[in-house]
Amino acid sequence: MTTTTVSFGERLRSGRRSSTASMVFTAVLWACMAIICAFLFFVLFTIIQQGVARLDGNLLDRQPSQIRPETAGVQSALFGTLWVIGLTAVIAVPLGIAAAVYLEEYADPKRWYNRLIELNIQNLAAVPTIIYGILVLAFVVRGPLSVGAVVLAGGVALALLILPVIIITTREALRAVPEEIRAGSLALGATPWQTTWKQVLPAAISGIATGTILSLSRAIGEAAPLILVGATTFITFNPDGVFSRYTTLPVQIYTLVPEDRDAYRDLAYATILLLIIVLLAMNAIAIWLRNRYQRRW
Amino acid sequence: MTRAEHDTVTPADKDATGEIAQPPGHVEVWRGNEHSPVEGAPDGVITLKDLEVYYGDFRAVTDVNVQFGSKEITALIGPSGCGKSTVLRCLNRMNDLVPGARVVGTVAYHGVDIYGPDVDVIEVRRRVGMVFQKPNPFPKSIYDNVAYGPRVTGMKVDSMDELVERALRGAALWDEVKDKLKQNAFGLSGGQQQRLCIARAIATSPEVILMDEPCSALDPIATAKIEDLMAELAKTYTIIIVTHNMQQAARVSQRTGFFTAEADEMGHRTGRLVEFDTTEHIFGNPSDERTEAYITGRFG
Ligand SMILES: Nc1ncnc2c1ncn2[C@@H]1O[C@H](COP(=O)(O)OP(=O)(O)OP(=O)(O)O)[C@@H](O)[C@H]1O
Ligand SMILES: [Mg+2]
Repeated sequence: MTTTTVSFGERLRSGRRSSTASMVFTAVLWACMAIICAFLFFVLFTIIQQGVARLDGNLLDRQPSQIRPETAGVQSALFGTLWVIGLTAVIAVPLGIAAAVYLEEYADPKRWYNRLIELNIQNLAAVPTIIYGILVLAFVVRGPLSVGAVVLAGGVALALLILPVIIITTREALRAVPEEIRAGSLALGATPWQTTWKQVLPAAISGIATGTILSLSRAIGEAAPLILVGATTFITFNPDGVFSRYTTLPVQIYTLVPEDRDAYRDLAYATILLLIIVLLAMNAIAIWLRNRYQRRW
Repeated sequence: MTRAEHDTVTPADKDATGEIAQPPGHVEVWRGNEHSPVEGAPDGVITLKDLEVYYGDFRAVTDVNVQFGSKEITALIGPSGCGKSTVLRCLNRMNDLVPGARVVGTVAYHGVDIYGPDVDVIEVRRRVGMVFQKPNPFPKSIYDNVAYGPRVTGMKVDSMDELVERALRGAALWDEVKDKLKQNAFGLSGGQQQRLCIARAIATSPEVILMDEPCSALDPIATAKIEDLMAELAKTYTIIIVTHNMQQAARVSQRTGFFTAEADEMGHRTGRLVEFDTTEHIFGNPSDERTEAYITGRFG
């Protein structure tokens, strides 16, 4: 009896050797996370410290100025960002959701063209953003459409940019809807279209909304493709339509940062802070939506 | 069991619309012949003739000839993988949803081959409802779950509230949920969810209700409730149920079909209908020794 107890105890204790390894591993993981957090907080802290001084009413109320940067604002850029991102959403969200619904609910995955589309969407999500800028410059700003460097061109560029991401996240949300829901609906005599529209999409709405908002918040921070399609660097009026010239917050930051006067630098920090606040607000909405409509199957 | 008890089979379609009666593509109800007798059932509301189902190249079931009787409960039993669910899914074309599934032979509903051209699948599924193994309420309110079918099929109803109440009463659920119709159906217990699924199915006034192991996810008390409910429903509806529970088949059904899958010389297992007869006969004095072996628990 004693012997079994001893050997059992030994076996239990021998487990400790692997627990050392797992502690080391845990420590390494913690260290990695600490480095990332330290870096993030350092950046955030610097921006807040430098930017909070100019985060005032003038920033939102006034237009950029080369004569008085001390009291200038970035109102045209803020409105430009809202216009461009609004247009991006109007173009990309319906298209992206429709494409995802087609691929997930209707397409026969055995057909070569459907497989080709799938493969291309995966690849498109990895294409450098500047490429979308070049594409829109060639076909929308100039070339066939020739609309010029206006809000419409910026919206199209960003919409193309986030379309693959919206398609991929929407498909994931649709895939998370259990097959039994579809079967139950069809068995009652609903058409595939009714099943998609009345059961599957409502059940997937929180995943779709979250993915969409996160991809829009990624688009808000883009400067490179917009510079290519002609988001003007210095503009002192708010856009008044999709055919208006415009600038956006990231483009504004891009022009303010290299200036050597302190007033410009302070304005740049404040603008960065403003952009971060807009982004955090969007992410907060995404998290709220996810928690609000989350479903456990 | 004598076959062909009736000389003529009149479509048991009491539905005043008469949409199903004598449409184009009418198929004579299969009465069997010496080589391939159709065993058993009296009126053949659904008649299967030389039914064969493939999943891709795999032949899951073959040679199924049977007539189901209306307003009675037919149980389909047999070992796992013998094709009970496959056959059941043919009866309202739910096999259409399985990629690669192919149905050969005839599935005649009131004499109309539901796999024939010009057949409206939606109409078939409205008349032949289905209850699944796992309760699958929609993530909506109890009321909307029941009202969904009538709404999407465009049924003309005078009062949706009345229809919902009638369906819930029919599924013996009304008293338990009448005060929380607007609450989400996920808040119900498993047994209540399954009865909700039955209410949902009868809300579209089907004639036939297919049930694939409807009690396998439920505890004995919830199971007993569903069994009582089935006996009640059989006064109005034709019920075809797949079950692994021998006692359940014996308790609730009037007729039983026994399926089994035997490997051929190539090693392919294909399901076949071995015996179809009154439940009394199948459980008391089966004609086939494989049936006897299965129901006495010596097999499968
Ligand atoms: N979707 C499918 N794709 C391919 N093969 C399938 C599919 N569904 C069923 N099968 C095969 O068809 C045969 C019959 O399956 P079926 O589900 O009808 O059996 P069953 O009698 O209902 O079994 P169980 O009692 O376990 O539910 C099995 O060999 C199964 O592997
Ligand atoms: Mg089954």
